[in-house]
Amino acid sequence: MSRYLFVVPPLTGHINPAAAVARELTARGHRVAWAGRAATLAGLGAEVYDAGDPALDAALRDSHERRLGLRGAGALKFLWEEFIVPLARTSRPGVEAAADAFEPDVIVADQQALAGALVARRRGLTWVTSATTSGEFTDPYAAMPKVDDWIRERMAGLCRDAGVAETTDLRFSDDLVLAFTSAALLGSDREFPGHYAFVGPALTARPDHTGFPWSALDPGRRRVLVSLGTVNGDGGARFFDAVVRAAEPLDVQLIVAAPAGLLPDPPPYVLTRPHLPQLDLLSHVDAVVCHAGHNTVCEALAHGLPLVVAPIRDDQPVIAGQVTAAGAGVRVRFARCGPDELRTALVSVLSEPAYRVAAGRVRESFLAAGGAPAAADHLEKIS
Amino acid sequence: MTAPDSSQLLDHLRADLAEVMGDDVLLAVDITPDTRFDDDLALESIEFVALGEILRERYGDRVDFPGFIAGMELDEIMSLTVGRLLAYISDRLAESATV
Repeated sequence: MSRYLFVVPPLTGHINPAAAVARELTARGHRVAWAGRAATLAGLGAEVYDAGDPALDAALRDSHERRLGLRGAGALKFLWEEFIVPLARTSRPGVEAAADAFEPDVIVADQQALAGALVARRRGLTWVTSATTSGEFTDPYAAMPKVDDWIRERMAGLCRDAGVAETTDLRFSDDLVLAFTSAALLGSDREFPGHYAFVGPALTARPDHTGFPWSALDPGRRRVLVSLGTVNGDGGARFFDAVVRAAEPLDVQLIVAAPAGLLPDPPPYVLTRPHLPQLDLLSHVDAVVCHAGHNTVCEALAHGLPLVVAPIRDDQPVIAGQVTAAGAGVRVRFARCGPDELRTALVSVLSEPAYRVAAGRVRESFLAAGGAPAAADHLEKIS
Repeated sequence: MTAPDSSQLLDHLRADLAEVMGDDVLLAVDITPDTRFDDDLALESIEFVALGEILRERYGDRVDFPGFIAGMELDEIMSLTVGRLLAYISDRLAESATV
């Protein structure tokens, strides 16, 4: 029996896969605890050590609207300067306290929760990276070497303050890197070191509190799920409007996750709710339109569903590239695609079998990768 | 061969951006040397790649857009303007004209 401390950012998409692994470890008789923002972790019903910071929460609330306007290099700068670095600084004392109290054998640190890596290194503990997106795996900054240097400088600063060797790449453990994807989706020619484990998505049933009207699903039409994650604002409104107009002549039903008020007075073929029971719904749709967030993409592909991807920022352009390279979907431009381009994309993924066949191949690769039990196997081996 | 003057270069770039982003961009944005790729045009990553291809087709290997970007700091990429790209193209064309 071993003791695993999971260190996570306050992001549901990063916590869900880790939680599936944690449940598997607990079922095998191991002890698991969490360090992170306590309010976000309360629903796990597990041992939680608070490493949150109200000032950081407030700053992120204040900057939320500004972030929604950022793309590309601006979004990257925001991610590191206003999220990853401050999160590492403000959460490190809480993670240290968690390590004192829980005495873990292994720290499992999310790739964006760098305090976990810092604390593990300070204490000489085994450190495992939990990568809930593969956006960092294919050298996305290769074409911008000074941007890569800039990221390494941010990490070196954190290492200096924590008394850890400055050359440590806090995004990638030397002991074990758990990546919730498969080589078939990653599609890289690069040979990864032996301590990289591609375990596929770790999906487990999530309780549905959305009150979704299941009887409103139209059995006579093909159905398409549309989700842009938590994005809203003008860009989201424009995109939703274009999707709705694209679908009008197609005899499909759209099930759209959109903030209340963004699609006022939707036409009869559009079913919209602020929150959808996405994982459950995927068994009832024929295709997915999304922003190429890693979790949504992997959940769709785990159901063998073809995608229309409209990446917005961060790792999403990389993930969208993986989807099209795998042959499992069509990429459109989030800011500029109109109804015609979206309609062509929708018709392609719904009517050309190659997309569904390719999505099925990725699904098979996920099944072979093993998910949460495979992740737990790797964690048992190194503890 | 005489190098195109700066207003010709701007016209060419307007046409190239319209090819990459769609003609609507010319209606939506008055593209001037001060126009920013990030804030004003919201150029997407695949559009950056496409623009590099088009510039190479137009000017040949002497205009190396990926190489131009590769030399930049993060803040320079964020604040890249049409004027900065035009200055680079102009420099490269002048350089190759004198060789």
